[in-house]
This record gives sequence, structure tokens and C-alpha cells, in this order.
Amino acid sequence: MTEISTFGELLERHEREIFAYALRLTGDRDDADDVYQETFLAAFKGWPPPRRGQERAWLYRIATNKVIDRARKAKRRARLSDVTDLRLAAPERDGVSLADLTAAVKVLPAGQRAAFVLRKVEGLDYADVARALECSEEAARSRVAEAMKKVREAMK
Amino acid sequence: MIELVSDSRERLLQRARRDGLESVGYRVVDSPLGPLWIAVGPKGVLAIHYGAEPSPGELARIVRTYGPGVLPDARRADPVARELDQYFAGKRKSFDVAVDLSPLTAFQRRILGATARVAFGDVSTYAKVAAKAGSENASRAAGQALGSNPIPIVVPCHRILASDGSLGGYAGGLEAKRVLLQLERGSVPSGGWKRSQ
Repeated sequence: MTEISTFGELLERHEREIFAYALRLTGDRDDADDVYQETFLAAFKGWPPPRRGQERAWLYRIATNKVIDRARKAKRRARLSDVTDLRLAAPERDGVSLADLTAAVKVLPAGQRAAFVLRKVEGLDYADVARALECSEEAARSRVAEAMKKVREAMK
Repeated sequence: MIELVSDSRERLLQRARRDGLESVGYRVVDSPLGPLWIAVGPKGVLAIHYGAEPSPGELARIVRTYGPGVLPDARRADPVARELDQYFAGKRKSFDVAVDLSPLTAFQRRILGATARVAFGDVSTYAKVAAKAGSENASRAAGQALGSNPIPIVVPCHRILASDGSLGGYAGGLEAKRVLLQLERGSVPSGGWKRSQ
């Protein structure tokens, strides 16, 4: 088999197996589509493959990491959604009580509410909060601080 | 599964274009001469290759010039495909699509430029093309340059014959050259247009 020198060769040679792999891992057509696209875009942007002749293994590694990232994000989103339903009690952490949470949900805009729950309820560090919210760590800290300020005001 | 991947590929290509990752788009078209691999770059048609895949040398030339962002993209190659269809159907005598000869040497560009001026239905010779390109004594080199013409049919190297009027050579094979000349001139004598005939 000749060496791959273009994105098109990589795509035409491996796209079907990568799509099938993503479909098996995610069990969902739309998720598989996303993983397929994210995998190949990452491969194109990361060109050339780290080792010539091992492009297939390289694509599988990228696809696996994409699936893991998505599952992690989906889990966080699900938890966040449960918590913001207020059917779950918030653990006592950093002085945040159920009352704090109730106040927060009432007074905070969506972005700050997500930041507040991820940090103060889920206990994620700021780097993970930033990843979950797809913003910078600085922005995540800022959102949490602003949220805390509003919660305290709401608790007065 | 093939349909699912096809839909996903279309979305992927849209994103690749948007992100500036595609430098050259290609597609394969059917023709009376068999499949043709067409590549279109930022300046125009880069390659028309006889067969469903380019040769390694052809691809290497494209990658050297435009990088690895060579992706299947029917939409980008459609205008060329359409003009080729019209040509083979006898409804087009010249091509309007831009051609990109920039990856070639100055001599090759001059020879192919002179070739492009040989009109539909006319023929010329390697020697005359060399002379028109400003290299009177370079008919052999002209033949070599035409033999490696990356954009046959659109740059009509099939219209160039040996100095004795015989068909000479053709990268797509002499039968393909004969078919193209028949399309343009109606008939082709078995040995070409040798002076003795």
C-alpha cells in the first residue's frame, strides 16, 4: 500500500472504518457523525501523522479520545441538568447549602448558574469547569465569583 | 453505512473548506475515454489524469505546490466536469475554465501555452509548437513537455503530431488521441496524416 500524502487519501482509505467505530462506541448516529468529523478535522490540523505508515492507529487514537471527551462532557451536562432541576440536594461544600443553591438557581443567568453548580456542587476544579463550559479558566473563575456574589446577595 | 458516511463526508468537507484546510479539490468523472481524475486548485484546473487515481508523481507535484490539503470535492471540480461533458458531446469547441500551469517549468509553460492556441479541429507538429514557443530547435524537448502535460484535453496536446504527420505519442495512449481527433475532425487516417498519404 502506498504512503499517504494527502488528506483525501487518508479520508478515502479510512473514513468508513472510523465512522463504524464511532457508531459502535456511541451507539448514536448523530454522535458518530460528530466523532467522525472531529477526528478527521483534528487529523488534518495535526498533519502530518506522527509516524508514517501508522495513520490508521493514529486515527483510532484520535477517535477514541473524542468519544471519551464527549462521554465526559455528556455526563457532566446530565448531572448539571439534574441539579438545576432542584430535585437533588446540594452537598454542603464551601458553605454552599441547599438554600444557597435554590437562591442561585433563582437569581443567576444560565452561564453563571452552570459555573456555580459545576464548581460548588460538582466540585470540579477550574480547569474542568472551563472545559465543560468551553471557556477560558479565567472566564470560569470570573463566572463562579460573580455567581457567588449574587448568591450571597440573594441570601441576605 | 455508505450513505451515512457520504452525508458525514459532505459536512466534513464543508467544515474543512470553512477552516481553510482544503487547497485542492478533486473528483473522478466518466468519459468516453474511461474515468478521468480531475483536480482544481486555487488558480484553476491543475490536473486531468487518465484513470480513477492520479499517478504518484502527479500527486507529489500537486502536494509540493499546494500542500496535503487535497480532498475529494465534486462541487469544486464540477465546472471542469461540465465542460468536458459538453466537449465529448460535441457541444463545446474550447474550454473556459482557468488552467493552472504554475507548478511547471517556464519551458513547459511556453510549450503548453503554444499548444493551447491550436484551435479545435486543427493540428500542428512538435516542431511548429516549439518554434511558436520561441525554441525552434527544441522539437524533441517539446514532445517531452507535451508528454507530461498535466491537463490533457483542456490543453489540447492531442492536436500535436510528429513532424511527418504521423500521430506521434500520447500520454493517454494513441487510441485516446485518435478518439479525440476523430471527435474534432470526423475521421483519422490509420497512420495519421503522413505526407506520403
